[in-house]
Amino acid sequence: MKIAAVFIILLLVLLPAMGFTVTGDDTLKGRLQTFVSYGLSLTSFLLCLLTIMVSIYSLTSDIKQKQIYTVITKPIRRFQLLLGKLLGIILLDVGLLVLFCGLIYAIVVYMPKYLGTDGEELTRAKNEFFTARAGLVPPEVDVHREVTETYNKLKKTGQLEQFFREFSQKKIIAELTKQKQLEKRAATVGRSLVWEFNNVKVVDPNLFIRFKYNVSLNPLDLQVHSRWVVGDLRQIRYATKIRTPIYSCTRKDLIRTFYEIEVPADAVAKDGYLAVEFINLPLNNTVVIFPLADGLEVLYKADTFTGNFIRAAILILLRLIFLACLGILASTFLSFPVAILLCLVVFFTAAVSGFVIESFKYISENISGVYAYAIEPIIQLLPQFDKFNPTKFLVSARLLSWPLLAKVAAIMVCIKAVLLLLLGLLIFSYKEIAKIVV
Amino acid sequence: MDYAIETFSLTKVFSDWWGRDKVYAVNDLNLQVRYNEVFGLLGPNGSGKTTTMKILLGLLHPTKGKALVLGGLGSDPKINARIGFLPEESYLYRYLNARETLDFYGRLFGLPSKVRKMRIEALLDMVGLKAVASRPVGTFSKGMARRIGLAQAIINDPDLLILDEPTTGLDPIGTRQIKDLILNLAKRGKTVLLCSHLLADVEDVCDRIAILYGGKIQSEGKVKELLQQTEKRQITTGAISDTAVEQIKRIVKNEQADCVVTSPMDKLETFFIKAVAIAQRQELPTSGAVSTTQIGGFLAPEAPVEDILDKLVSAPTSQESAEPLTTEKVVPVETSDTKRDERLLQKLTEPAKPVETEPVVRDLGPKDKKPETKPVEHKAAQQEQTKKSIIDQLTGPVRDIGPKDPGPKYREGTGSNGAGRSSPKKENKGQTDKSQAGD
Repeated sequence: MKIAAVFIILLLVLLPAMGFTVTGDDTLKGRLQTFVSYGLSLTSFLLCLLTIMVSIYSLTSDIKQKQIYTVITKPIRRFQLLLGKLLGIILLDVGLLVLFCGLIYAIVVYMPKYLGTDGEELTRAKNEFFTARAGLVPPEVDVHREVTETYNKLKKTGQLEQFFREFSQKKIIAELTKQKQLEKRAATVGRSLVWEFNNVKVVDPNLFIRFKYNVSLNPLDLQVHSRWVVGDLRQIRYATKIRTPIYSCTRKDLIRTFYEIEVPADAVAKDGYLAVEFINLPLNNTVVIFPLADGLEVLYKADTFTGNFIRAAILILLRLIFLACLGILASTFLSFPVAILLCLVVFFTAAVSGFVIESFKYISENISGVYAYAIEPIIQLLPQFDKFNPTKFLVSARLLSWPLLAKVAAIMVCIKAVLLLLLGLLIFSYKEIAKIVV
Repeated sequence: MDYAIETFSLTKVFSDWWGRDKVYAVNDLNLQVRYNEVFGLLGPNGSGKTTTMKILLGLLHPTKGKALVLGGLGSDPKINARIGFLPEESYLYRYLNARETLDFYGRLFGLPSKVRKMRIEALLDMVGLKAVASRPVGTFSKGMARRIGLAQAIINDPDLLILDEPTTGLDPIGTRQIKDLILNLAKRGKTVLLCSHLLADVEDVCDRIAILYGGKIQSEGKVKELLQQTEKRQITTGAISDTAVEQIKRIVKNEQADCVVTSPMDKLETFFIKAVAIAQRQELPTSGAVSTTQIGGFLAPEAPVEDILDKLVSAPTSQESAEPLTTEKVVPVETSDTKRDERLLQKLTEPAKPVETEPVVRDLGPKDKKPETKPVEHKAAQQEQTKKSIIDQLTGPVRDIGPKDPGPKYREGTGSNGAGRSSPKKENKGQTDKSQAGD
């Protein structure tokens, strides 16, 4: 397979070249993020393609060129042949993955020294890139009662009939819930918002508050003035003796952009309680809203960058194992080109699985029967490459935890890939190996 | 009675895309091959020979009927361990070299590494590819690939050897070697199923044949019975005088029969082998198989070319007592096998170098067809003898082929064409006896 050599050389040339040419947003962190993002994505993509091709070529060429005649008539069982092929491909993948991920890792670690950065930029990169942080998201507020009230009110006044006739009840309720929850995360001018977290376990000296503003009315300079208070606010509320420090700061930040506030970890109370207060200063002339998904988060260091990087590489490997099983299944009953086509379709669909699942859910409202019994099982069998994208974790220095990795391994490999493989074994065991020649 | 291969109204129908029956490749075939028999499957192209073999090996599923191989199914690994198979073409992995290829197949049989190593060396020697053993088989000519294919088929010392057109693409020496090998295996109690349309080859080695046409057996029986012309007689003599010929003619006339007197012709095969032997002696360069030297290498240097091959066919003599030819199964590779192979390797490794450089047929002039010398017991000869015994142990246990041993399985490799007659055999009486018996 010369194509494998081409891929390997391509990566060996491209990765270092990328390492020294990326600029990102011209900060060290930006460069690192850009490099890891592109480097790892490219490696993952090329290895996926390679795995698909090798796994399919391996068996189909044996069958086409008939070497399998002399192999399968030896005292081995057919499943052994397939498992052997799989093992070979996985070993190849592991080898290549170690090579390329090692290369990326080396470049990433070497980059600060190469660029000669120090001071604030280096600290920032250390805090926000060379780490693996876990995040705490404020729990969703229960708005069920309010939603029901509003719904009934709308129904009573006949507005439902008037404005939302074409919507189903389910959809109206969902819309109302979203609206109410956003209300809980919006601060009018001069008002404050308080989030409370329990069980915060911080080891590292610092924790970070990551946030993003949305506004109801764009300010002229697109900036929001704010005051943040972080610490055990119960001490103020109940006017007790101050035992843990409370930190505060006044800021001016762009809207729709992520920012992080660094807070010393001693702000957390002994029982793991932490409160974060945001005050919409009267300098603003707008309502400030924190978006539902990623508006506010408390981040703290949970692991090292190296650990996270290794897990990211394993995540890629899980992907490759799935594709290898898929390739082997395809090659048990399809010829080389058709099998390649099938696997590529599955691969690209899996790469945008979120979109696919959403789209089908949308359509399914009209064809629920067909969807539930025919399309859904197939979609469920698709792996979700986009949801568990390793670069996503590394770029935002987010902790990719072992339990999460185990979950992905269990679903993607232990269930989905093994199912495919078993199907492949079944087909291959009963297949007539010899071509029909009379 | 137990059969090595038995099929029960075996039928294979190839359907078209719509599931309609299209072709009966094999039609209600009842084939019985006894243990320790060389069975030839003949027939024109498309008569179902290869299909039958593929069904026997489990590569195709029968539409109807059943096929038993060594008492089991051909897809059973336990049965597979005792079968050697050479498909119609040697399908090899192009990027492996000859040694790696054999090693790969040896591993598939689960042979211990020592045994594997020894057998590979011996087999490479036997098929004459030792010099090119580290070249990728993708660069081999068809005949060379065929030799490797043959080597992989016998690496497990099979009880049953299934050969699909084994001699296609081979030079006459290779063809002859394969025929010799088949006879050798048969002598050791192995069963061989041979499929070919080179009738001369089949005639030379097969005990029984079946002729297939349209997936059905048209004719079946012992080669000798099928071919013997009972109404004719043939007498072969030395160079006798014209007067003697006249006398014989007169006697024949008295019997009221016709008589034709000619000098026997050399078989082209024999002639070819001689020519190659001469080229070999002059050490002309070749990038191909060097089978001539290697075959010669198994034997004493003084022996003429013709004898070299004959001797290979007949298997050498030794102190071991003759093994009765029975239908019992040969024990698969075990520790005793390992020891035997170990012993052999030791012998093989010691004298290897000096021998290979020495052309074996050096003393033999082109005209020198009937050397009167006997094998001389010098060192090189001993080394060659050792090598030969290794090969023989792999292809057949060494045993005595004396006049006492009727050797029911044995026939002269040159067969009915009578090429064996052209050169007398000095050192092996038993063989000479039998070659005449065979004729």
